Amino acid sequence: MVGQRLEATDRPVRWQRFFHVNAPTLAVVPVFLIALCFYFGSTIWSVVMSFTASKIFPDMTFVGLRQYARLLNDSLWFLSLQNLALFALGSLFSLVLGFVLAVLLDNNTAGEGFFRTVYLYPMAVSLIITGLVWQWLFNPGLGLQQFFRDLGLKDFVFNWIGEKDKVMYAIILAAVWQSTGFYMVLCSAGLKGIDGEVWQASRIDGISKARMYWEVIIPMMKFTFITSFVLLSIGAVKAYDIIVAMTNGGPGGHSVMPSYYIVDMYTNRRFIALGAAGSTVLLMIVAAFFLVIGLVNLVLRKRES
Amino acid sequence: MRIAPEISSLIALPNRIPPKNPVSKGAAFLVLAGFAVLFAVPLYVMIVTSLKSMDEIRLGHIFALPINPSLEAWDTAWNKASSGFTSAGLKSGFWNSVLILVPSLFMSVTISSICGYALACWNVKIGNLLLSLLLVCAFIPFPIIMYPLIKITAFLHIYSTSFGVSVVHTILALPILTMIFRNFFSSIPSDLVKAARVDGGRFFGTFFHVILPLSPNIMIVVAIMQITGIWNDFLVGITFGNVQAFPMTVNLNNITQTQIGVRTYNIYMAAAMLTAIPPLVIYFLSGKLFIRGITAGALKG
Repeated sequence: MVGQRLEATDRPVRWQRFFHVNAPTLAVVPVFLIALCFYFGSTIWSVVMSFTASKIFPDMTFVGLRQYARLLNDSLWFLSLQNLALFALGSLFSLVLGFVLAVLLDNNTAGEGFFRTVYLYPMAVSLIITGLVWQWLFNPGLGLQQFFRDLGLKDFVFNWIGEKDKVMYAIILAAVWQSTGFYMVLCSAGLKGIDGEVWQASRIDGISKARMYWEVIIPMMKFTFITSFVLLSIGAVKAYDIIVAMTNGGPGGHSVMPSYYIVDMYTNRRFIALGAAGSTVLLMIVAAFFLVIGLVNLVLRKRES
Repeated sequence: MRIAPEISSLIALPNRIPPKNPVSKGAAFLVLAGFAVLFAVPLYVMIVTSLKSMDEIRLGHIFALPINPSLEAWDTAWNKASSGFTSAGLKSGFWNSVLILVPSLFMSVTISSICGYALACWNVKIGNLLLSLLLVCAFIPFPIIMYPLIKITAFLHIYSTSFGVSVVHTILALPILTMIFRNFFSSIPSDLVKAARVDGGRFFGTFFHVILPLSPNIMIVVAIMQITGIWNDFLVGITFGNVQAFPMTVNLNNITQTQIGVRTYNIYMAAAMLTAIPPLVIYFLSGKLFIRGITAGALKG
């Protein structure tokens, strides 16, 4: 009797002990499994898919590099890579403008909180809304173009969204409007981190402010800029919603970017292997870029210390 | 820095410091105000357009104030606008967004905060390995894992449901949230955790009685970041949802893209405003915490 009772209570106690001792490891396991299955497993799956003949359904027929050859011959994919580069370069403008605004805010005490609030609010709304509003502003008959024509500029042309060689500028402009406030915040934080003594020293030395910014402050903020480059490139790779809302890839596919191309392959055109090949190429571009950025970061930090 | 040694002998002469130039200060203010106007224009246009009738919009004065302001477009956008599938307006999308948001917020914050706590305050053997894995995860572009995620959620019978959308949001948020929580909890003095452990505090006991009371701010920051991020999402919602479960952003996009013929911009702008109001309210109420939220969440990718 006694022995039985002990055994019956012993098991739960042993389990309790197990949970007590291993609780930290058990708490980590779900995230570990999610990282392995959903991120690494999925990535491997996509890479494998890119070597198969899958169309609407996964099909494990191995076709080697045929899908990659197809991609190389697809002018739309080429256009999307070109647009990716253009978007990445163009969105640098939000960093430049964000830095300028941060510097101006640093030199101006009146209404700082108000300005910050106004510059940053676009960041709070969805890119679908950003795209929709700018599509409206770019409306050739009723938007900005008409506004300037009514002001007397009869031949004013501002139809970026409808012209295939200018449509990317329209998207970049909307994206810059959306994200400038964010880079202003990053640069403001960087500027605040600079020692006041640096400024005092420059004043006593009679060095002009402009020269100070160019020769001392900007080099001092290099890590802020590196972070910004990383974030800007992530933004360029992710760009999808804003294209859907503004142009849906048009006119004639001239605003297609890689994310849009890949998602379109998966969901509308139902060519899984080609979408997988595209996303593998995108992954390699991203990996190469971050490798370079990581190395630059490492070298700069070594030199610093 | 470079100049410091040369001028250190002069530092005792404060009178030499020239006063800040008031002219350049005024110029800075003017430039800032100019840009503020440029940044505010789209919001202004959204609001005035949503209050106009289509007849007035056809006049082409995009910046003009409405002659007869009316909330009719708002009413149509909320109750009746057609999204191609139904003509029930945006309100179903609003509730779908809430239905997606609540579980994903709960799941992502719970899992990531407990995992971050374990990584920061306890010795976990695979801790360092996991941290480097998570860093890589945060940089994997979504398109590459999108199709496998569709297959996995379909296998789990949650594909094309609002709960499936919540699960995908949770998965996408975990790497960055775990890193944020881990960094924050690492900054809590380890003596506190040790003392709790000596007092017999167990893993969860210490978490609820010692750690959580110290972290209301980080919780708010993460909540703001998650709420705005999930509310504004489009791609996950359209890929993993279905007609009954589309979030508000997808609903909005459908309303603006499925109409044939006249493009009713007053209704589009009213719908856009309705979709933008929840995150904008959070933005204007939370101020600095919002800034911290998006700065922390920016790495999410």
